[in-house]
Amino acid sequence: MRIIDVHTHPVLFKQGRKPAEVRRLIAHGRRLGIVHMIVLGDVLLYGAQPNEAQLRLMNDENARLAREHPDYFTAFVYLNPLLGERAVMAEAERCAARPGFRGIKLEIANNAAHPCMRHIAKAARTFNLVVLQHSWSTTNIKDRKHQSDPIDTALFARRHPDVKIIMAHLTGVGFRGVLEAKGLPNLWVDTSGGFPEEGLIEYAVEHLGPDRVLYGSDLPIRENSVTIGRILGANLPAATKQKLLYGNTARLLNLKLA
Amino acid sequence: MLIDTNVNLGPWPFAPLPELSAPQLAARLATAGIRRALVAPLAAVFLPDPMPANEKLFAAVRRTPALLPVPVINPALANWREQLDRCRAAAPIRAVKLFPNYHNYRLTARRMDDFMAAIAKTGLKLIVNVRLEDERHRYFALKIKGVPVKDIARFLRRFPTHHVFFTGLYRPELKQLAADHKNFSADIAFCEWAETVKDLLSVMPARRLMLGTNTPLLSTRAQADKLRLAQIPARTKALIGTENARRFFKL
Repeated sequence: MRIIDVHTHPVLFKQGRKPAEVRRLIAHGRRLGIVHMIVLGDVLLYGAQPNEAQLRLMNDENARLAREHPDYFTAFVYLNPLLGERAVMAEAERCAARPGFRGIKLEIANNAAHPCMRHIAKAARTFNLVVLQHSWSTTNIKDRKHQSDPIDTALFARRHPDVKIIMAHLTGVGFRGVLEAKGLPNLWVDTSGGFPEEGLIEYAVEHLGPDRVLYGSDLPIRENSVTIGRILGANLPAATKQKLLYGNTARLLNLKLA
Repeated sequence: MLIDTNVNLGPWPFAPLPELSAPQLAARLATAGIRRALVAPLAAVFLPDPMPANEKLFAAVRRTPALLPVPVINPALANWREQLDRCRAAAPIRAVKLFPNYHNYRLTARRMDDFMAAIAKTGLKLIVNVRLEDERHRYFALKIKGVPVKDIARFLRRFPTHHVFFTGLYRPELKQLAADHKNFSADIAFCEWAETVKDLLSVMPARRLMLGTNTPLLSTRAQADKLRLAQIPARTKALIGTENARRFFKL
């Protein structure tokens, strides 16, 4: 099966930047059937709330990967919504003008229910970008200020129904997260993050349908063979697995891959 | 042929998992290339006395030779010697399993002296389960954490002649222990990073790692693929996937 990984960090804490490391990653991915990766950036390099200069450095790294390997990497622009409308729009515009950018990546600068998220929605609309929001259940992680519970990401989607949003980390948001996403046609869920808990993929497809679940790994924090095996081993029709692994992301991001 | 050292049979209250019969479990494992498995009774985790769950396990796997029963013993209970004797009489077991965090005792407890001496006399192998699930995703009212690494380290220092098998260590925990201790082996169920097995082999010899999937709580196929698709020599893969378990548990 052909696979697109919608959630990767090829460079993490500056590891993986060297050309030989990038080539090795691409070869490793291709061995597993991964024909394309979405690069989200070295998002924790400068802590939870990077400033404008730090964001530019990280986004330039994403741009470099997409420029040097356009057939293999598509980039998202990493933003800090707390920096305000001017900074958000300026960095989104700077990156959207470059080839290979299709989305916005948000991490843990703020909760997705924060009013500053309106700037992100404006940037997404203006530059036709999909928003990928790090999300995790705060039931056991007591940090709602920075972590976005699935309730918060779903609220962001509800407030901006014209913006396409990916709720990251299916295992992190869990069964409750799937139910939060249900009924919100502008909200997708990616399967990245966490151990391959049994039954969750099938549950997500049962409640969201076969078109709103996207394969993601969270590489290098997670292993592609495991994250792919979780989908291949799920009790789902082959056509549905192919949608999760490839078709849904290709359509969402309008990727025309050879 | 793979041997899985970390499989469970029975109900789990916190996820909508199908409760598999022993033949169904063996069939699921076989789809991932696993032909033999060490199976513990999941219900023993929550029962005040693990014996009813052990006996149910023995009966369930009697006609499914691919599944080798691993009874759970609770050394914090007054009758642990009786538990051990009854299990040995009931089935040809190769190991017993402990769940210290679920059964409310510590590996550093004084009572472990007698227990370890008794285990040594039987010739059985000891499996200590560190965790069954990622603590970040456990049921909100269940406040059970993994067995602390510092307890495991003290335990290994205190019983240097025992070689203990741990299931459910996280990758950083395994790496931390591997730096200072040689008298343990571990499964890879809760270890994950890019190229997991190759990464673990940088700190732990292949002869002390074994395949464990934590089926049915985690995806069997995904966990088996962690080893099956690892870019390591075939000989190393065979050790981790089959031969270490065969040698250690005398299968």
